[in-house]
Amino acid sequence: MMSEYKRLHPISAIVNFMKQVKEMIIPIVVLLFVNGSGSGGGFWRYMPVISMVTVLVLVLGAGIIKWMRFTYRLEDGELRIEHGLFVKKKRYIPYDRIQSLNFSEGILHRPFGLVKVKVETAGSSSDKKSEAELTAILKEEAIQIEKTIFKEKERLSESPEAVVEEKPDRQEEIFKMSGKDLLMLGLTSGGVWVILSGVGAFLSQFDDFIPFEEIYEGASGYIRGGVLIIGILAFVGLFIAWLLSLVWTFVVYGDFRIRITDENIIINRGLLEKKQVTVPFKRVQGIRIIENPVRQLLGYCSVQIENAGGSALEKDSSSIKLFPIVRKREVENLLAEIFPDYSVETEFNRLPVRSIRKYMIRAAAVGVIPTVVVSIFLWPYGMWGLILVALLAFLGYRQHRSGGWKLSEGQLSLQYRTFSKSTVFLKKNRIQSLDRQETWFQSRMDLSTLRTTVKSGDAGYKSTLRDLEEKDMKQIEMWYSYEE
Amino acid sequence: MKEGPRNRVSPKALNVWRIYGGIETLIALVVAGGIITLTVLFDWPAWISIVAGIAGVILAYIQIKVVPDVRWKRWRYEVREQEIELQRGIFIVKRTLVPMVRVQHVDTVQGPILKKYGLSTITISTAATVHEIPALDTEEADGLRDSISQLARVAEDDV
Repeated sequence: MMSEYKRLHPISAIVNFMKQVKEMIIPIVVLLFVNGSGSGGGFWRYMPVISMVTVLVLVLGAGIIKWMRFTYRLEDGELRIEHGLFVKKKRYIPYDRIQSLNFSEGILHRPFGLVKVKVETAGSSSDKKSEAELTAILKEEAIQIEKTIFKEKERLSESPEAVVEEKPDRQEEIFKMSGKDLLMLGLTSGGVWVILSGVGAFLSQFDDFIPFEEIYEGASGYIRGGVLIIGILAFVGLFIAWLLSLVWTFVVYGDFRIRITDENIIINRGLLEKKQVTVPFKRVQGIRIIENPVRQLLGYCSVQIENAGGSALEKDSSSIKLFPIVRKREVENLLAEIFPDYSVETEFNRLPVRSIRKYMIRAAAVGVIPTVVVSIFLWPYGMWGLILVALLAFLGYRQHRSGGWKLSEGQLSLQYRTFSKSTVFLKKNRIQSLDRQETWFQSRMDLSTLRTTVKSGDAGYKSTLRDLEEKDMKQIEMWYSYEE
Repeated sequence: MKEGPRNRVSPKALNVWRIYGGIETLIALVVAGGIITLTVLFDWPAWISIVAGIAGVILAYIQIKVVPDVRWKRWRYEVREQEIELQRGIFIVKRTLVPMVRVQHVDTVQGPILKKYGLSTITISTAATVHEIPALDTEEADGLRDSISQLARVAEDDV
């Protein structure tokens, strides 16, 4: 048993340092600009540089101290971490609280064969604190730790007389993303907009330093109402953003693979920073197939699993992208292979025809008010808003068409659309609570709204299906009820 | 689980909710009063203060009389062996089923106003949701809390 105090690899001091610097990058840049223009001579002239160097040295020092004071060890069935200079912090995490260890390798890790280990614990609110991160340790050691913990865990959970046999781990590669898939993912994802807004935000930071107005004025001479040039510039900008998002997709999702073992789903991804996420099967709370309209047209979709072990620190750990993109017709087989206990439905009971009007009105209403307001001030141009209203009404119609439900042994499957279409598969024993809602209009028409909540991270994930037949709703309630 | 939950919350809840409504109305009335003052000071047309006054009175009536009444009539709950059922809502009637196996813990809460009327609120937490039964007699609430946590303990399941 490894019970001696262990240190992280020294590179973690650098990693800490880099992380700090990354957080300070904007203040540093601002400092440069602000002080760079300062006048004065001699000592004051070098003040900005000196202060910056001092700060960097301090940060580096802090990183080193942090590394020196950080120890971890496996002892008495617990992962024990101690750190802190003035205030000594100890964090002991019992093995059976540990749900999974997630590995990732950054650019700094890879030359040295290191990994960053994130410890995922059962995410109930009280033990939010027992999460830990080992910034950089040797990969072999990480694997060793993982083995020790899980072997011990297994031994604890089994009855004492049961023989712990070394069964070979079932390891099957289930899914791999091809270059074409990646391309499709990049093309159809919202990444372009994310990057565009990022560029916008970045530029707005420099608003004060770059003389935009002068540029505009100078340029206006050339442009002279040259809408064409602006159009071309906008196009080039968009095109570059689009290329960047494509590259980004490859960097993040490159080499995407899924393996399954008896107890876990293991997802690997990333070209520059390699990530490995382990999801224990028993933490899976629900499966969701998502089709945004573009992907739906092309016959693609993505699949997410809701994970109970989601931690507050890791943003994307509650909803995990199982398949970032996959052909719709392959989904059924893939899911059936990974989750034999789920029935992947394709036939759904549809919503009653009489609720079409409600769907269309509800969707269109969102556009009506702004259209009216704009029309009052900008008559008659505001009336163009009617196109928006019509589009929204069409979306409402599509929402109605997408709505559906199905009960099968121990499982509720729902289909609904907000903008993207979702198909969710929920086990009865994973649904935390079930709501039925009726407005006055609905109850007059014998319709109800169904809402289910499953655990996903801290908040829970809600699925809502509007305007079911009331008798269908009753049937679902009966199915969900545990009373005889 | 046919006809919906049977038990009502304490009739004293009406008083508590009226007080809440009164407090909310008071804030609105201050705004209305401000508008009327401004109207007088700056010689704005008189209809503004009339509208503000009427709106204030209507709001007060809705907040203090209508909302608590409807809310009380709607609020039903029932704790069975295997599940808890709740019904509530003013414009939208909501019914919720919480299976006992999903209940993680139960709390009773009592603020100063509830305390004055000898009432408590029960909150029932699952792994992902929190549900509330407002304004039960304190003794009843305590008893219910204990029996729910008893019933919930029997069944154990992974999350």
